[in-house]
Amino acid sequence: MTTLTQAKPNLLWLELTGCSGNIISLLDGAHPGFIDLVTSLVNFRYNNSLSAGESSDAMDQLLATLGTDFILIVEGAVATKANGRYTVIGSVQGKPLTALEALRLLGAQARHIVAVGSCATHGGMSAAAPNPSGCISVQQAVGRPVIQLPGCPCHPDWILGTLTALLEHGSLELDERHRPRLFYGNLIHDRCPRRSFFDQGIFARRLGESTCLFKLGCRGPVTRTDCPTRQWNQYVNWPVEDNTPCIGCAQFGFPDQMEPFISYDIT
Amino acid sequence: MPSTRVTLNPVTRISGFMAIHVTIEHHQVTAAQTEGMLFRGFEQMLIGRQPWDAVYFTQRICGICSAAHSTASTLALENAMNLTPSEQGRYLRDIIHGCEFLQNHIRHFYQYTVPDYVRMPQEVPLFQSSYGDFRLPTAVNDQLIRHYFASLPVSRAAHEMIAILGGKAPHNHGIFVGGITTEATVDKIMKIRSLLAGIRLFIETVMIADAETIARYYPEYFHLGRGYGRLLSFGCFDNYPVTGTLYVDPSLYRADRIESFDPARITEEIEHSRYTGAPVAYQPLESMTTDAIDKPAAYSWIKAARYQGQPFETGPLARQWLSGAYRRGISAMDRTIARVREALTIARIIENLLDRLEPADTMQTAYSLPQQATGQGLIDTTRGALGHWLKIADEKLSFYQVITPSVWNLSSQGNDGQPGTGEAALIGTPIQDPTQPVELGRIIRSFDPCVSCATHVFMPGRKAPVTEVIVP
Repeated sequence: MTTLTQAKPNLLWLELTGCSGNIISLLDGAHPGFIDLVTSLVNFRYNNSLSAGESSDAMDQLLATLGTDFILIVEGAVATKANGRYTVIGSVQGKPLTALEALRLLGAQARHIVAVGSCATHGGMSAAAPNPSGCISVQQAVGRPVIQLPGCPCHPDWILGTLTALLEHGSLELDERHRPRLFYGNLIHDRCPRRSFFDQGIFARRLGESTCLFKLGCRGPVTRTDCPTRQWNQYVNWPVEDNTPCIGCAQFGFPDQMEPFISYDIT
Repeated sequence: MPSTRVTLNPVTRISGFMAIHVTIEHHQVTAAQTEGMLFRGFEQMLIGRQPWDAVYFTQRICGICSAAHSTASTLALENAMNLTPSEQGRYLRDIIHGCEFLQNHIRHFYQYTVPDYVRMPQEVPLFQSSYGDFRLPTAVNDQLIRHYFASLPVSRAAHEMIAILGGKAPHNHGIFVGGITTEATVDKIMKIRSLLAGIRLFIETVMIADAETIARYYPEYFHLGRGYGRLLSFGCFDNYPVTGTLYVDPSLYRADRIESFDPARITEEIEHSRYTGAPVAYQPLESMTTDAIDKPAAYSWIKAARYQGQPFETGPLARQWLSGAYRRGISAMDRTIARVREALTIARIIENLLDRLEPADTMQTAYSLPQQATGQGLIDTTRGALGHWLKIADEKLSFYQVITPSVWNLSSQGNDGQPGTGEAALIGTPIQDPTQPVELGRIIRSFDPCVSCATHVFMPGRKAPVTEVIVP
């Protein structure tokens, strides 16, 4: 068992019912990035995609964190069908550990819970109708407020920016739906570089046009993120600049209430 | 000597959740089951949705290979619409897809495979190892640790290339019916070329050498994890009308022979996975399965994909073998060597495709949907053969089937009880110390399992529930 450094809190990153795309997005973060996470910011103890140990050793790293000071990052929704057995994340003493059990166990004790990605914040893609595995959000499953970082996936800066604020200041300013205002404070539509086309009524009729994508189904008018100004992957691009509609992946209700993603019926 | 039952749960450093259950007798694996532990039911979710949405929707099956699903769903839609994309459109789409190969292979090698053979810094809890079989001299071990971290900006650059043409990654917006959604302007191409040059240099001078170093110190893995030795590819970077095939045609290898591939010979079998449906073996477009978590004979969420009733291996080794680029052998270590070498193959193909680009206007148009149609999209992706099959009725999706590479590689037993490919690769493996079965994870990870992708669903009508999930 490791001796934990006193100054730094422990970090657990649970992957539950989802695509594990948020940990991949985290690896796309640069400054800071994964290196900072493992070497300086926290004692990173467990993640299914990255843990060197396996099986009971990995489970021990996870469960030995109980009773310590730790931050819990969760990606993925929480399958509840058949008492949670549609997502098993490991086993403890020969018994399957469901995503639901793991989250309730750890969520009760974590200093902070950060729900990363739209599956975690509101069920997202994993809860899309007819919700075959009975997925609910992290907040529903733990029954206590969690910091909400929606997005499909979540931007690495939103994750590490939130974590840094928690480490340095103990909190950060959240909106009424528990999203950090720093990243989710403005509607995409309000900061969209194509806003002038919208104001002039110049609308794209097919993907690939460089005007306003509103009539093709753009969800920028209802989606709050800083995508237009921050942009993605070393800040080189974002979906609207790629001549496609925002599909509202960071908005509560995604995907069902954001569809159809693309509509050619522009009358 | 008594037999020992060993379970590894979870097998970490894969995408999604998986367990391995083996029986060990006289220090040898005599029985093995691979268990996918995650079910999401995408096929079921897709019923009734607008067909275009499948391109962005199905990407969410997998966080590490999402462009693969956008490619397969786009191909299936084009097939249903009877639409042929332009050659330039295919080049651009395949460039995006190729960048995902680079991202995936670099991360799979350094973040998922290296900790199996390199003692990571043990003072970091995340890096604490389960076993003690580490053989690299300290200086070499330290160098590979440095490369573990040095690889991060490189795999990140591969995703940056996707974003340049596709908006963002994971889950790009660029790949779509007809080609991609943006113009390949000179500034974008210049940026991609520059990023690619750095990635290629890293693959050539660091990654391939690191894989060979590991192979030198762990040579017995060239003799472990062979499996059936049957290889399958749906083809990729192939059959461009003007350019021909740049990598590998749809083909397969068995009994020392390369054969042509016929998609009509693909079936899925569900006797030992957690689904019910009739028949229990079916072609992709005829099935309807339902999740059945307590089905007695079932032990996994991963179905059994078969070709003429036989399990096959799919992925980088299959492609390198079938294209003639690498034929040293079939084993756990050969899979890893083939993966890093394939990264270089792909980097060269992307360079080739970039050279062929011509300035072009948008490839997009305001598409209309057929009232009724059927489509299939088969393509080899990072982890191997991926298929999407769909039906459209009244301009909505009425059927969707996904068979991912991990449904081939990590399949459950067939209806005949024949083990899946990964299971066969484990059976017969000598285990030095049954209390430290380090061999099992090393062999299974050589397939780059993706349990997130292995999730399918099928359903009749609007309300039916079923999905089969596995990750490619």
